[in-house]
Amino acid sequence: MFRFRLDGSSGVPPYLQLVHQVRQSLLLGYLQEGDRLPTVKEVASDLAINPNTVVKAYRQLEHEGLAGGRPGQGTFITATSSPVLPEAQEALRASLEEWLRTAEDAGLDDDAVTALIAVARQDMRKERV
Amino acid sequence: MNNDVAAGTAALRADRLGRRYGKVWGLRDCTLEVPPGVIAGLVGPNGAGKTTLLEMIIGLLEPTEGEVSVFGVTSRDRTAARLAQVGYVAQDHPLYRDFSVADMFHFGRAMNPSWDQQLAQERIDALGIPLKRKIKALSGGQRAQVSLTMALAKRARLLVLDEPVSSLDPVARLEFMQELMASAVGTGLTVIISSHVVSELERLCDWLIVLNGGRVQVAGPTDDLLEAHRLLTVPRGTPDAELPGLPIHRSDSERHSTVVVRADPALLVAQQPPGWQADPVGFEPLVMAYLQRRPELAATDDTASTTTEVTR
Amino acid sequence: MIWVNWRQHRSQAIACLGVLAALAVYAIVVSTSMRTAFTNDGLPACLARGPATSCENGILSFTNRFGSEVNVAFWSVLLIFPGLLGVIIGAPLIARELEFGTWRLAWSQSVTRTRWLVVKLSLVSGGVIVFGAAITAVITWYRAPMDRLTGHFIPNAYDFEGLVLTAYILCAFGFAVLAGLLIRRSIPAMIAAFVPWLVIRLVIEFVFRSHFLAPLTFVQRCNSPQSCYGGSGLGFIPPITGHIGDWVLGMGGRSTLAALKGHLGNTWVYQPADRFWTFQSIEAGIFVALTAIALGATIWLLHRRAA
Repeated sequence: MFRFRLDGSSGVPPYLQLVHQVRQSLLLGYLQEGDRLPTVKEVASDLAINPNTVVKAYRQLEHEGLAGGRPGQGTFITATSSPVLPEAQEALRASLEEWLRTAEDAGLDDDAVTALIAVARQDMRKERV
Repeated sequence: MNNDVAAGTAALRADRLGRRYGKVWGLRDCTLEVPPGVIAGLVGPNGAGKTTLLEMIIGLLEPTEGEVSVFGVTSRDRTAARLAQVGYVAQDHPLYRDFSVADMFHFGRAMNPSWDQQLAQERIDALGIPLKRKIKALSGGQRAQVSLTMALAKRARLLVLDEPVSSLDPVARLEFMQELMASAVGTGLTVIISSHVVSELERLCDWLIVLNGGRVQVAGPTDDLLEAHRLLTVPRGTPDAELPGLPIHRSDSERHSTVVVRADPALLVAQQPPGWQADPVGFEPLVMAYLQRRPELAATDDTASTTTEVTR
Repeated sequence: MIWVNWRQHRSQAIACLGVLAALAVYAIVVSTSMRTAFTNDGLPACLARGPATSCENGILSFTNRFGSEVNVAFWSVLLIFPGLLGVIIGAPLIARELEFGTWRLAWSQSVTRTRWLVVKLSLVSGGVIVFGAAITAVITWYRAPMDRLTGHFIPNAYDFEGLVLTAYILCAFGFAVLAGLLIRRSIPAMIAAFVPWLVIRLVIEFVFRSHFLAPLTFVQRCNSPQSCYGGSGLGFIPPITGHIGDWVLGMGGRSTLAALKGHLGNTWVYQPADRFWTFQSIEAGIFVALTAIALGATIWLLHRRAA
């Protein structure tokens, strides 16, 4: 059975953490098409979280096309793999490494890099809203 | 899905509920509505009135003013009917220490017509607690589980827990919550759980009630509440009147202030001058903002009641 | 709720049975020798022949042998025994639930706290009454030979035979239950209930009991100054009235001169033996009424506290 984790201190809402973990596992190949995700009861009982949180996460996954429920059988992964193809992933990783080297040369430490990424993400979100 | 949702019967309805102890009001002007099927968290510091509210819901205490009803049975109706509606796990999980677990179940059977012995037995077996063992020989975690089993075996539609894990070690705490969440799945059970530890409620509750100084500060579905609040970063001198929404808590630094405001998100986007920033508020910061607010303010605005109008 | 109350008071019930058994064993052992001695001293036959005045020797040897067993052992310790028993059973009834927080468990089941209390009080009082009756029966049986000489109106017997012993226990029980509700702690409640119980117990016995009904007067005529019993005529077998079972209170009554009509003698006041059960009923009635008031107040207060 696929086991979820929950980080209570991360500030990220629980249902989002579940969604992220499925996305990440898909990316890394730990989840594949046809795999059955644990039932709401199994997750709620394993993590001691509200069952509605699990329902919400699974609904979000359905909305993103990553998973789907089969009546009477459970929730199954429907996506073949990540939205990002392995070649695209490799290219992104390479350009990220280059960027990090540039940032390091410019004098940014790890915390500064993280802060910069957070600000950039926020700006992007604002543009979308 | 049970009939209550269709009929619109709230699991809990409180109408200007209040309780006075001598000269002091333990709870005042409490108006709430909790729909069936949710897991509601009641959070507030010690002395905020959590136990008073819970005891009035259960029927252990009568209101000094106002009214409370559980699935339509109000505080003016026959007490025995009210008592039968609510399963209760009190703080410190009181049990008869000389009784065995089997004796406690016999007690439950004798005192509750709706007692489900099979459920009680299955849960205890699954937990690996021997029926013949005396309560005083059980660990704190096991006693908590027995208390929970007894409340669940009563087969009431509302389950009330008063700080059920505050006396437990972390492992026992997790095991208790695991059992509680597993019981809430698919049964339509409504749960109200109180705590003064905010962080543990985030993962459990889809409904939130914040209590402070004997008054309800805010109440409503967790998601809606999070959606309706923002953390604004504004220049230090910005007066409250210019803020888009109701300021809940303000923290001033040298050049800027951060304010938790309650507002319609659309308004926030529309009215955002440069130099301002609006971020979502997390569960714990939201609760803390309300707890740091002066309790009497809750009486002057309608923050507490507005969100309960959101239909489910 | 019968099982629940039995289970909660099981150890108390067993302890009481133990006390009863121990008392019964003691009673059987001593009373057997008492009965044997009674017969051997020729007392049954002697008493059957007529008033006990003629049986002096037999009576003397018997009372010398058994007087202390019956009097000292019973009276000083067993005066407080009904009070102790009553408060030990009654004080924790409510106080224990309050002390340990189990009231939150007991009163949130599907039974109202008032009904919980009424059923509990009925069952436990019933048990107390049965126990009191059993102890009374054992003691009455035990004292039977002695009672044939002294009657059972004298305090040593009166306090333990008939209705009053059970009533004493019930009253202490009632006080203790009320104290338990008010004080919320078992041991302080026991003390707070025992003290007034003891005071009332002693006051009723020593101040009021002799006057439940107006005493009768007995005129004692003497043939000569020497044959008049001087001083107190109490404690003699048979009593000055000549009738076993009368309770002689002391000298007094209507004026000596008028009663004696010129003869030598004393006047005594006494309660006749046939008033025993009337007195028992009056005294038991007082203590039962006190019990009812205490328990009624407890139920009313508990009912009101929820409101």
